[in-house]
Amino acid sequence: MVLPTPEGSTLEMDPMEYTLRKRLPRKLPKRRNDVYVNMKTDFKAQLARCQKLLDSHREICIHGLGLAINRAINIALQLQTSSQGALQLAANTSTVELIDDLEPEDPDEAGEPLTRTRNNSAIHIKVFYPNP
Amino acid sequence: MELSGSRDACQTTNVSASSPLLKQTHTSRFKKVCRIEEESTCPFPGLPAGVLEMRVKEGSKIRNLMGFAMARMQDEPGDMGQTGLRRVVFSGSGRAVTKTITCAEIMKRKIGGLHQMTKLQYKGLREIWESQEGGDSEVTVHRTLPSISILLSKDPLDPLEPGYQPPENALWSERNGGEASQAAEKRSVNCSETPAEPQAKRVCL
Repeated sequence: MVLPTPEGSTLEMDPMEYTLRKRLPRKLPKRRNDVYVNMKTDFKAQLARCQKLLDSHREICIHGLGLAINRAINIALQLQTSSQGALQLAANTSTVELIDDLEPEDPDEAGEPLTRTRNNSAIHIKVFYPNP
Repeated sequence: MELSGSRDACQTTNVSASSPLLKQTHTSRFKKVCRIEEESTCPFPGLPAGVLEMRVKEGSKIRNLMGFAMARMQDEPGDMGQTGLRRVVFSGSGRAVTKTITCAEIMKRKIGGLHQMTKLQYKGLREIWESQEGGDSEVTVHRTLPSISILLSKDPLDPLEPGYQPPENALWSERNGGEASQAAEKRSVNCSETPAEPQAKRVCL
C-alpha cells in the first residue's frame, strides 16, 4: 500500500503488521535500600515504603524511568518536606536503552521478528541524612 | 478571599490544586481563558554567571532546543576572549521534566566531557481561570510542581556538592562494572601469554 503525501514523495506502509512487545529494561542489581518507582503502584504506598526504608537505613536511592521520573522526584521532595529539611537530595540522570520486539501479526506470512531500540531517560535520586 | 485588582465587581476564590473546587473549573465551563502566572523561584541555587538558560516547556520541540543550545555551545568565535559558551542550564517543571532530562542527556552525548549538576525543587504556579458564562468570577489555582534544573559545564564543578555527576567516561567503568571487569580480565590474561616486548612497551606508556 502506497500513500501519496502532499510533497509529492510517496510513503510506503509495511505490508505486514507487527505487534509491539516491549522488553523489560535491564534490571540493575538491587541493594536493600534501592527503590524503583513505577506508575502502576499507588503513589501513597510507594511514598510510605520509601519513608519506612529511610527510617531503618540512613540513605536510600530512588530510581525512575520515563514517566516515573516525575513520580520519583515527587516522592523525594515529599520525603524532604516531611523531614523538615533534615534530608538532602542528590540527583543523577542517565540514559537507558530499551529494546522493542516487533513480531509479525500473521504467522503464515514469512516475517522476520524485528527489534527496534529506543533511548529513555532515567533519574537516580539519593536521599540521605548529611553527616554532621 | 482575595479580590483581583483588574476587575471591580468580581469575586476571586483561591483554590489549592487538590480541592474539589478545581473539578468544578473543568466541569462547569470555566472557559479555557486562563492566564498563567508562575511564581519566580528562578535562580539556579548557586552560580548564575552569564549562563545560557534554556527553559524547557511541555510543548517544546527537542529538535529546536538542541539546535539552539548546540550552536551556542559549539561555536568558538574567540571575539569575547573566552571561546564560546562554557555553561548551560536546562530547567523545566511539571510535565516538562522528562524532556529536560532528555535534552541534557543528548547534549552530554554530543559534547563529551561535560560536568553535570542536578537540582530538584518545588515550583509554585498560580493559574487564573475565568468563567465566560454566569457573571465574572475568577478562580485562582495554586499548584506546586516538581521541577528540575540541570547545569552542564565544560569547567569542573565541585564534586562534593550533592547532585554532582562527573563526565561520562569516569562513570562508564563504574556502571558497567561486571562487563568491563570481565573484559579487562580477558585482556590481562592475553597480555600475560604474549612475549615480553609488548609488555615493555606498555610499561613505558
